[in-house]
Amino acid sequence: MRKTWAIVMVGVRQVLADPAYLMFLVGLPVMMTWMMSFLPVEVYEMAILGVLVMFVGLNVITSAGGYILGEKQTGTWQRMLASTTTYWHIMAGYFIRLFVMATAQSLILLLSGKYLFGAPWDHGFLATIVVLMVYIFAMTGLALFLAGFLKSQEQVQAVAMGVVMVGTMLGGIFFQIDDPSFVIKLIATVSPQSWAANALRDVLTLGVGVSSLLTPMLWMTAIGTILLIGGVMKLQTEG
Amino acid sequence: MILLEVNGLKKAFGSRKAVNGASFTVRRGEVFGLLGPNGAGKSTTISLICGVLKANAGSVVVDGFSVGTDGANAKKRIGIVPQEPALYPTLSARANLRFWGTINDVPADELEEAVNYVLQVVGLVDRADEKIAKFSGGMKRRLNIAAGLIHSPKLLIMDEPTVGIDPQSRNHILETVKNLKDKDITVIYTSHYVEEVEYLCDRVAVMDNGEIIAEGTLPELLEQGSQFQELTISVDTIPDEIENAIQALPHAEEVIVQNEQLKLVTSNAEKLLPSAFAAIIGLGGTVSEIKIHKPNLESLFLKLTGKALRD
Repeated sequence: MRKTWAIVMVGVRQVLADPAYLMFLVGLPVMMTWMMSFLPVEVYEMAILGVLVMFVGLNVITSAGGYILGEKQTGTWQRMLASTTTYWHIMAGYFIRLFVMATAQSLILLLSGKYLFGAPWDHGFLATIVVLMVYIFAMTGLALFLAGFLKSQEQVQAVAMGVVMVGTMLGGIFFQIDDPSFVIKLIATVSPQSWAANALRDVLTLGVGVSSLLTPMLWMTAIGTILLIGGVMKLQTEG
Repeated sequence: MILLEVNGLKKAFGSRKAVNGASFTVRRGEVFGLLGPNGAGKSTTISLICGVLKANAGSVVVDGFSVGTDGANAKKRIGIVPQEPALYPTLSARANLRFWGTINDVPADELEEAVNYVLQVVGLVDRADEKIAKFSGGMKRRLNIAAGLIHSPKLLIMDEPTVGIDPQSRNHILETVKNLKDKDITVIYTSHYVEEVEYLCDRVAVMDNGEIIAEGTLPELLEQGSQFQELTISVDTIPDEIENAIQALPHAEEVIVQNEQLKLVTSNAEKLLPSAFAAIIGLGGTVSEIKIHKPNLESLFLKLTGKALRD
């Protein structure tokens, strides 16, 4: 646990020392949230959550790929592997670090949407946060799984955009797709973004509570767990 | 007494055999030089010893613990100093060392003492709390060594720790390595610089094409190479056919064309030199300087591998 915590803290300190990354992490999505506040109020509420779902996905995938590639390029990755630190310590460190940052990003977006830009949320805050936590877990698993396959920063950018855009757009987050094809249904089934968006929509429009959201949360938890284990196993086979 | 035993080590990446049956031993308390041209398999061998890569065949045993079957105990005994500083530039020297100490199982109540000790060893006590992004290349290399020493390893593996740094830092690093012997730390030292290896190393292994092609103390290796001499002929314009022309001459063992120089390994310099000179002139070249070197590690290396150390 001590090693995992050390990996988390090194990551957090690196992020805090990088203003450009902080801008990407917080500034850009807050700006998008502000711009969306000019939309009609009935669209705005869901659009903010769409932005949140999209940016959290983009953030964790680019960050996970960027961190691991960066560590491999500077040699700190190999130095960690040359110690008694296991892949599980390292991946747990990355997982916590990504989870904490994505959670911070989500809270900033939610709070800025409500208190700065006037999102008319008056119910379902707890259910929203619970769904978001599970969604961040799933996306972090997906991000660490993908990071094991990516060999350059260009690949990280391309894959992050691809995965997030396909999952967000075809997953029906910003707009409903009438009479979807088999492929779109499949994407909606495996995409954590789609599960998260549908669950959040139910919270906001139907006012459902956490107990009614077990199916999407179990799906997202399963996706995250399987991909996280797959990611660790992929890294273990690299040697 | 043997600290490290490498036996029949093999590692392939696809069809390329990076390490092809390397075997050698390192004795406790010695500085062991690992020499080889680029692509010889040195870095892969180091990664296999450290357990960063898994071997396809063979074994590595450190202080009685197999890297393959008891990796945790073996790794505790190894410190690694990579060629490029493997550190976090946005953190201070002290924060970096605390991190690497934690990662290498230094107990929390001993961490500060260990950090202060290694900072003292590498002479960076007064810069300990500065971010290392501000450090010179030489200071980063010294901190890189400190990070390798933080958990008091029995075996320190240093991969070309002086490449591209200023002479002052280089001397500091060489003296640090020399002093490690007094602290009962065994060192594996890879370098392209023959003078460093000659200055530091008790024994040397020469590696090429993934295999150890010579191993011994410096006098033993120099004895092997004593029948060979190295000539360096500087030529203003090197004719195209000169390499083949000189290689065909009697007593020419190896010929390497490098920049504006011909490096020759010969068993008889007195007989080769006039005919090599005539061949260069005959092909339109102009000789500007000739040097005859005493048998040394570089000429032995050239003879054994057919390559210059800095290839």
